[in-house]
This record gives sequence, C-alpha cells and structure tokens, in this order.
Amino acid sequence: MASALKTYGTLIGFVLVVLFFWIEIPDTFMTAKNWLNISQQVSMLAVVAFTMTVVMVMGDFDLSVGSMASLAGIVAALAFRDGHGVWVGVALALVIGLLGGLLNGALVAYVGILPFVATLGTLTVYSGLAFLVSGGKTIFGRDIPTAFSGFARSGLRLGESVSLPSLTIVAALVLLIVWFVLEQTTFGRRLYAIGGNKEAARLAGIRVRRLRFLAFGLSGFGAAAAGLMYASRVASANPTQGSGLMLDAIAAVFLGMTMSEEGEPHVLATLVGVLILGVLGNGLTQMSIDSYVREVLIGSIIVLAVAASSIGKAKG
Amino acid sequence: MTLLSIRDLDKSFAGARALGGASLEVRAGEVHALMGENGAGKSTLIKILAGVQKPDAGVIEIEGAPVTIASPADALRLGLRFIHQELSVVPHLSVAENIFLGRDYPRRWGVMIDWDGLNRRAAAVLADLGVAHIQPARKMARLSVGDQMLVKIAAAFQDASVEGGMPARLYVMDEPTAALSAEESQRLFAVIRQLRTAGAGIIYVSHRLDEVMDLADRLTVLRDGSTVATRDIAGLQKLEVIELMIGRRFAEGYPPRLNPVQDEVALGVEHLSTAYLQDVSFEVRKGEILGLAGLEGAGQSEVIRAIVGADGGHDGAISLAGRSVKIDEPVSAWAKGLAFLPRERRQEGLVASASIAGNVSLPHLDDLLRFGLVLDRKAEAEQAVDLGRKVKLKANGPRQKVRELSGGNQQKVVFARAIAGEPEVLLLDEPTRGVDVGARYDIHALLRELTAEGKAVVLASSDLPELVYMADRVIVFRDGKVATTVSTDGLDQAGLAALCFGAPTAPTA
Repeated sequence: MASALKTYGTLIGFVLVVLFFWIEIPDTFMTAKNWLNISQQVSMLAVVAFTMTVVMVMGDFDLSVGSMASLAGIVAALAFRDGHGVWVGVALALVIGLLGGLLNGALVAYVGILPFVATLGTLTVYSGLAFLVSGGKTIFGRDIPTAFSGFARSGLRLGESVSLPSLTIVAALVLLIVWFVLEQTTFGRRLYAIGGNKEAARLAGIRVRRLRFLAFGLSGFGAAAAGLMYASRVASANPTQGSGLMLDAIAAVFLGMTMSEEGEPHVLATLVGVLILGVLGNGLTQMSIDSYVREVLIGSIIVLAVAASSIGKAKG
Repeated sequence: MTLLSIRDLDKSFAGARALGGASLEVRAGEVHALMGENGAGKSTLIKILAGVQKPDAGVIEIEGAPVTIASPADALRLGLRFIHQELSVVPHLSVAENIFLGRDYPRRWGVMIDWDGLNRRAAAVLADLGVAHIQPARKMARLSVGDQMLVKIAAAFQDASVEGGMPARLYVMDEPTAALSAEESQRLFAVIRQLRTAGAGIIYVSHRLDEVMDLADRLTVLRDGSTVATRDIAGLQKLEVIELMIGRRFAEGYPPRLNPVQDEVALGVEHLSTAYLQDVSFEVRKGEILGLAGLEGAGQSEVIRAIVGADGGHDGAISLAGRSVKIDEPVSAWAKGLAFLPRERRQEGLVASASIAGNVSLPHLDDLLRFGLVLDRKAEAEQAVDLGRKVKLKANGPRQKVRELSGGNQQKVVFARAIAGEPEVLLLDEPTRGVDVGARYDIHALLRELTAEGKAVVLASSDLPELVYMADRVIVFRDGKVATTVSTDGLDQAGLAALCFGAPTAPTA
C-alpha cells in the first residue's frame, strides 16, 4: 500500500488535479479543445523536459537550456531579418543549439567540471550572447516570415473547429524519439548504467566521457528546438523568452522520477510531470487565479512529491 | 593493571557470524597486537569498541568496571581513541584546526577566533608528541600522508579532556602504517612507544608481521570470529603466529584440477610500470591460473587495473596470444577479449538499479543489436539465463534487480558478465571476497571449467588457501614490485604467508 502510494502518488496527484479543475470549471476544462490547447501550451516545455531527461538519466543537469532556447530564437530571427529563408534560420539555430550543448558536454565530460557549475556558466554566456547579437531588442513584425510564425498556428484538422496543433506534433515526435533512444537502444541503456553507477559502467567498458558529451549535445539541440517553437508561436524573438523553461523542465523530470521505483528518470514519466505543470497553469489561468499562486503551488507540489517518494528510502 | 577486558563477544550480521567468543585483554602500558586473516573479525571487534556496532552478547570492562558503548560519543567519554587507516581529515583546514576540530577554539573578545592562540596550542600538542616539524598553520592537504596521520594522532591525544569524560587511555590503531613510508612509520612508532611509556594501552592492528614483532608486547589472534590465543611477543616465532592465524585447514572444499596448463602464452606483460608499480613482467599460459599475492596494497590489484587501463596509461607492453595490444581504457580491454572483475563489487562492479540481464550485458551491448540500432532485449534476457545457469545463479529471472540478490549471487552476476563475451583471459580481483561458502565453491568450480576450456586466469586474492589450491603459480608482490614467483606444487599456506610477510623464500615444510 505504502509502496503503491510511493510509485503512483504522482499519478494520483495528477488525476486529483484534473478532477479538481473539472469540477471547478465544468464548462470548458474537460473539452477536447482545451486539452489540445494545453498540449500546445506545454509543447515547448515538453521538448526541453524530454531532452533534459536524457541528461538527467546520467545523473547530470543542464541549467543552460533556457538561455539556449532564447539564443536559438534570436539567431533564427536575425537570419530571417538578413533575408535568409526559413530553413536556413531554423538549421542555423539548431546547429547553434547542438554546438552549445556539446560545449556543455565537453566541459563536463572532458574538462571535468561539475554539470551544475559548467552549465551555470554557459547559461550566463548564452544569455549574454543572445543580448549581444540582438542588441537587447525584440525582433518582431515584418522581420519574422509568415511561413515561420504560421507553423505554430497550423495544425492537423481533426474536425470542425478542432485541430491538432503542429507544435504538439513536434513535441510528440520528440517524445517518440527520446523514448526510442532511451528505452530501446544500447545508447540509452548505457546512459542508464552511467546514472546507476558511473565507475562500474566505466570499468565494464562504457565510454562514459563520450556518452556524457553526446547527451549534453542532445539537450542543447532540444533547447534550441523549443526556442524556435516559442519564437514561431509568438512570432517574435527576444533574448529572455526562454528563461522560464529551465526550472520547469527540471521540475517536470523530478516529478517523473518520483514515479520510478529506482528514482530514475523515464521520458514517459517526464511527460506526466510536464502535464501536471501544464494543467495547473491552464486551470488556474481559467479560474483567473494569480500566476504567482501557480508558482507557489508548483513549488509545493514538487517538494511534496519528492518528499513522499523519499519517505522510507531515507535511513539514518 | 588490566585496562580493557573483553570477554566472549558475539556478533552476527544477517545470520552470518562475524564474532563468536572473541576475548581480548589489554594492560595499561602495553602495545597489544590484534592479528588475524581478513574476515577473522578484527574490524567487527574494533567497531564494537568504537560504539559503531552493538554486540549480540559479551562483556566489556574498563579498569574492572563493566561498560556499555552505545555510540562513538560513549567511546570517547570512556577514554578510547581510534586511529583508522582511512584518514578522516579536512584537507582545506589547517593542521591546528584539524587537531581542534569540533571543539571550542580559543577566542578573542568572545567572538573572534584567536588564531595565534590556536596555533600555539596546536604547536604544544605536536611538540609533546615529538613531531615539532609539523607547522600548525599549514594546510592539512599540503602534508604527507604520514604527517597527516601524526596530526590525527595528535588530535586523538588532544581529546584528553573531553568534558565529563575520562582522559585518553586506550588507543586503537587499525593498519596505521598502510599508507606510510618507512621513515614515517618509524616516527609513528616513536610516538606509540611514548604513549606506552605514559601508561596508555594500545591495540595495534596490522598485517605487517615484522612491524608487530618489533613493536608489540603481546598479541591476540582471532580466527573465524573467536580468540585463538594470546601470547607474549618475546620468544614467539613468526611462523607460529602465521599458523595461529590460518589454523590447520585442508585442501578439501576446492574442486580438483582438470587439465594441465598448455604451452601457448595467452597474456604477456612486460616491464609494466605506473605511479605505483615498478617493472612488473609475467606471462600467463592458456589453461593456467596465475595467482597474485601480497599484503594489502602491495600491487596485486594495481597490476590488474593497469592491464585493463582502469587508471589510465602505463609504461610497458602487453600482448595477447603473442600479439602486442594497446589498452588505455577498460572499453578496449573488453573489446580485445580481456574480461575484468573489479575488487569492490558494489562500487565498481554492479549497477544496483539495473537488472541481472542489464548488468551482464553491459560490456557486450554491441553484440545484442538488431538492425544495428535497437537493443535486442529478448537475446539479452536469454544470454543472462544461459550464463546464469553456467555460474549457478539463484534468482527469480533475468529481469530481477541485482540489489535484491545476496552477495554471492551478485558476484555471480559479475562473473556472468565476465564470461559473456567468451574472453581468452580473465582478470579477477578478489573474486570470492565477501561471498558465502557455497557460492565460493561454485566460483572455484567455474574457474576450473574455464581453464579446462583453455582460458587463462589471473587471480588476485588475499585469501591464501584460495591461491594455494586454485592457482598453478603465484606471484608475490611487495611494494609495487614482483618479490618472487613460486609454483604452488608443494606450497602450503604458511609458506605463502611467509613470502607475503617478507621472507625471501618459502620455508620448507
């Protein structure tokens, strides 16, 4: 019973949150339209959280994802302003994301800096770069091609007045890829082994340094993708627009970790974490509750969930 | 005068007896050596004295009065001091701070620390110990290990006036010289002799027999958790001590040899040198078990780790079946058909959160691919089941988590991993340490099977009977160098022990 509560506590909490809003907002909350809306609202967070899961599987962190998302959006917008096509801007932003992530990976794996410190440093660097190249200004309006901003407004029509947003589809694809990589490939298996016991993994012939290097690359790539999605959605780019992503992404992974017996992150569990955060945001907004209340609630829920799952594990 | 008297101490862990009828008597003003093989119960006895573990039964008396030691604080209050081989120093703080750690520093105006006063007090303590060459203001990290040890002793000394407690009167030193140079050891011995003269009792644990014979007044030998004997050192022969320690054991309990050693060399090591090893060369033939012996840390583990590249690069050449190979990290060792079983099962061997199958497959994941990309979980599970049968693993299935297994079965998982890739050479570091008797026999039988198939085995072990009965030859290490190589034909445990403890040749029986 207690162990079931420990494993399923977070899932039960999620269901309770959904029930609460269903009762409180009976007309609009439990509708297909609202859920599709939620899926779009959380899609950026979802992408960052999914790729963050890859890093956290090894027991590492990437704090730089928020500023990387901002930087990627800026880079793409600047490319558009200089008259490059949509694909050039997108590709450039993704390459920057990958390189930035690999830089994190090199600092952590080859230089040997703690991930917390290394990515705290690059967080500041990437954020500074975003301000530097944009001159601190928001890039918007005619500079952003409609082909780019239209993507976030497009979707797969499911019926009259409902359609599956393109951003949701992107998030779902990232989910599928990360799930495949982590759960089905030897690459993923090796990452979990590193997270379980780095030294044993190394002695058993796993190239720990190379894998950490690559995993951080994925995390940077995901952050850049999320930055592009955000820029498309708001049809503009400014150097701070990704800054909220990092804490929420780590929170989502932590919430997911509470669902695993071993305390390991799994990307499907991360999805639950993302949804909890997304549903809370959506429901509280609909109830016209101050967004600061949301922050207090989310923080409390994370502490509660992690505390509940540590009870019994803690000894001495 | 009897300072400490321990009688009939019993202690079991999860059914396994660590101590059964252990007794020890230490007088004021003597150095009393506590001897015994690994697993004889020395550490348990010390942990009980230190208040880290509680005995199941038995009596502890200090100066004739029965005492209960329920916590380390109790031990401190009773005047017991412990100096362990693993130093618990704070490297970033100064010598003086390490000596007075956790105590009130002298103050100025009630708030500021009086650094000069602190350093003066520390200097006085160090001078009392005759180690005035250590400067109180130096950072601990900048001292040699030996000097750090002396500072720790100074700290233990300094605890003399714990509030409401007894002054320090009994020191327990567990392998204090393990990390010390000869000169540093001598300095430590001078301090120990000084403590003895001052009327303290010292329990001295060491595997170095020469040291013990030189330093101690009496010794007590533990074997299998019981006290075998207490003797005066004067007039005692080293060989007698060894015999007391290992008892009279029989060759029974070891599987018989199956095939003779072949002629082809499987693994060649030439002039292997690292920061720790000096010019180690040897060959292992197909079908041979080569034992590596020596005192704790003499180089046995380091050789194995160096060959698989566990600690980075090394000088010297390694060849497999006559072909020179370059191995600078474990991944290339596995790829070239070397299997490695590390010494510390939990820290270095297993991923406890993963399943049996996941642990077995770890070095061999590339052999379990479908479409060059996807992990074939079915094949992985089958591999674990097959090998589990071969190593006689007892488990609920290939997906059971290894953390749920007993120590012996966990070790079998690491073994299954080692043989999964059909390696030509197995490098085993303490493969039966902390393993129960049944699993131990299974592992030995497996080694016989593997050598019969022509595999070569390098077996580092501190278990002397294991080396004598399982190995074909044994290399004895001393201080990172090969001291001697002996055939196990006609060798007995006492002979091998004498070699480990520093005798130039095996005494003839």
